[in-house]
Amino acid sequence: MTRRVLVMFAVLAIIALGLAFYALHLKRKVARDEQVAAQQQLALAPPANGPPTSVTLYVASDSDGTLRRTQVNVTLPPERTERDRAVLRALFGQYLQSSSPHPIGAGADVRDVYLLGDDTAIVDANAAFADAHPSGVLAEALTVASIVVTLNANDTKIQRVKILVNGQERETLAGHADLRRFYEASNIGQVVKDLQ
Amino acid sequence: MPLSGRRSRLALAIVAGSALLFAALWGRHAIVHAQSAAQNQLTVYSPQTSYSVPLLDANGQPYAGLVELLEPLGSVDARADGKKYKLHFTPPGGRPLELQFTEGKNKGKVRGNGYKLPANFVVQNGRGYVPLSVTSALIAKLLATDTELHAAPRRLFIGNVQVRYTLELHKDNPSRLLLGFSSPVNPSIATEPGRVRLTFRREPIVSSVGENVPYSDPLITGVSFSEHDGLAELDVTGTAPMMANFADGGRTIIVTGAPAPAPVAQAAPAPLPPAPANTQNPTPQPRQPATPRFLVLIDPAHGGSDIGAAITPSLPEKDVVLALARRVQHELANRGIAASLLRNSDVAITLDQRATSANAARPALYIALHAANTGQGVHVFTALLPAANLSPQGFLPWDTAQAAYLELSGSVAGSVAAELESRKLPNTRLLAPLRPMNNIAAPAIAVEIAPPAGTVDEIANAAYQDQVAQSIAAGIAAVRAKLPEVRP
Repeated sequence: MTRRVLVMFAVLAIIALGLAFYALHLKRKVARDEQVAAQQQLALAPPANGPPTSVTLYVASDSDGTLRRTQVNVTLPPERTERDRAVLRALFGQYLQSSSPHPIGAGADVRDVYLLGDDTAIVDANAAFADAHPSGVLAEALTVASIVVTLNANDTKIQRVKILVNGQERETLAGHADLRRFYEASNIGQVVKDLQ
Repeated sequence: MPLSGRRSRLALAIVAGSALLFAALWGRHAIVHAQSAAQNQLTVYSPQTSYSVPLLDANGQPYAGLVELLEPLGSVDARADGKKYKLHFTPPGGRPLELQFTEGKNKGKVRGNGYKLPANFVVQNGRGYVPLSVTSALIAKLLATDTELHAAPRRLFIGNVQVRYTLELHKDNPSRLLLGFSSPVNPSIATEPGRVRLTFRREPIVSSVGENVPYSDPLITGVSFSEHDGLAELDVTGTAPMMANFADGGRTIIVTGAPAPAPVAQAAPAPLPPAPANTQNPTPQPRQPATPRFLVLIDPAHGGSDIGAAITPSLPEKDVVLALARRVQHELANRGIAASLLRNSDVAITLDQRATSANAARPALYIALHAANTGQGVHVFTALLPAANLSPQGFLPWDTAQAAYLELSGSVAGSVAAELESRKLPNTRLLAPLRPMNNIAAPAIAVEIAPPAGTVDEIANAAYQDQVAQSIAAGIAAVRAKLPEVRP
């Protein structure tokens, strides 16, 4: 093998290594940017002022497969979708506690709540909500049910709910619960009756 | 800034070289994966069932997973402790038998006696693997039965399960070749001009009349048998288009000439008088509608790269539910109910594919099996769908097909929950927004097993799974009369 060929192979190997490092760098950069964007998104939420308001949460329990109605005090913003978001963040707050009876993935958050007309809410959760959610039919069904009935309990006009993840439609929450469909609050009410 | 001629040629050469290097690496990667997907599994035929076992390439030869190999044949309890690997295998109605091996060693113990493998034992991700070449002898020792391994085509026969065939050529006009089988068969049939290929994936077909049988016939020129990649094929070659028909309840397949295609319709054809009856060439009779039958389709969730929930770091949901599915199938068989598995090996199937396959199988009942490490006991689900006034006889919307069967599904779920209760197994009956259950056009339930009261590991306990499987089977048997049989 001539020296020129060896040099050529060495150059190609260096280029291949360089490209691999560059790809790794880009991957890390995208992850960093997404994290920063998520933090900025949280920081952009308008600060809530005023006295705390009592809101109703339906909190799931994995051990007995039930949803328990509970009241907590939350400072609610004046705008309707921001209020809905604050209620869901209060629900997620219950699940993110270390002693939660229904733990969900660390870092799970609600990015936004949108309204379609007056009665349909689109809940946009962040990636951590789905990516780190415990996998299981019961665990996922409880999460979906608790989101829908909690929203409906605090904003009774909301009759239909759809859950997005990072602004995108997702097939299932963590391999089981269907996230492609709109959930009817009246239909989920059956689950709550069954579960309580 | 423009590059000089020599520099630009060098740059071009580097770019082209890089592209070639990547293309070569990528191409090799793709070929390795394509080969492994097609060839790396062993098909096992046993008197109870036929199943596939994924193979692992190690030490320059194929290895089979011990749990995957033995689980369909009885109860298996396996544990890896460092380099030591212990497995207890209990054949149906038999006593537990112990196998012990050590990673990287070729000596072990089977039923208390020394056992030498032809190559070192391999442990990967907590699973034990033995060389493919020893699987036949190992199973023969455990089950005390005859076994036969066809190593190159990856086929293992346990007991006298082999299905043999006979060939009978009738020189009629057109000629007919009758393939007679010792048991009913259901191969996939592919036809192309001058050829009919029968592919047997689940049936233990073996050659009994030689691999190539030539005929001096104007239509049928020969039959050849081959086996490869865990399946068997019979190729019938001829001089004109041919077709195959089943007869004698699947014990006979008749290959004969295909009818000539109808002439292309002309514009404004003249009315023709009725054709005289042709007694020489009887026209093929339409197939009689199949008899309705009661089939339970069991869908062990997840598989392949989709492991489902990690019950423990070394126990994925996909393995727990496959083991449970086989137990349920066995318990249903004990009650005289036919059941088949939507997957019987570690393969990935999308949710839409599951629904499509399930609906195509036209089962009387569909059961999805899941496992989780949250909650406790057994959760029995029916679909969470709005009540809809749909008739099962009409077209059903894909996303809510199950809505037409909610009442029957609820009856089955209630019956299974009652059986669980009678066995004192903690259980909950619920509605769940679960795919692909929403898309199933048949009565359907989902069963999720969580650990009993004890530790998470107990979810894989054979006694616990047996109790759950018995409850499911007894629950189905109790409502069988309510569920309509379905024409395949």
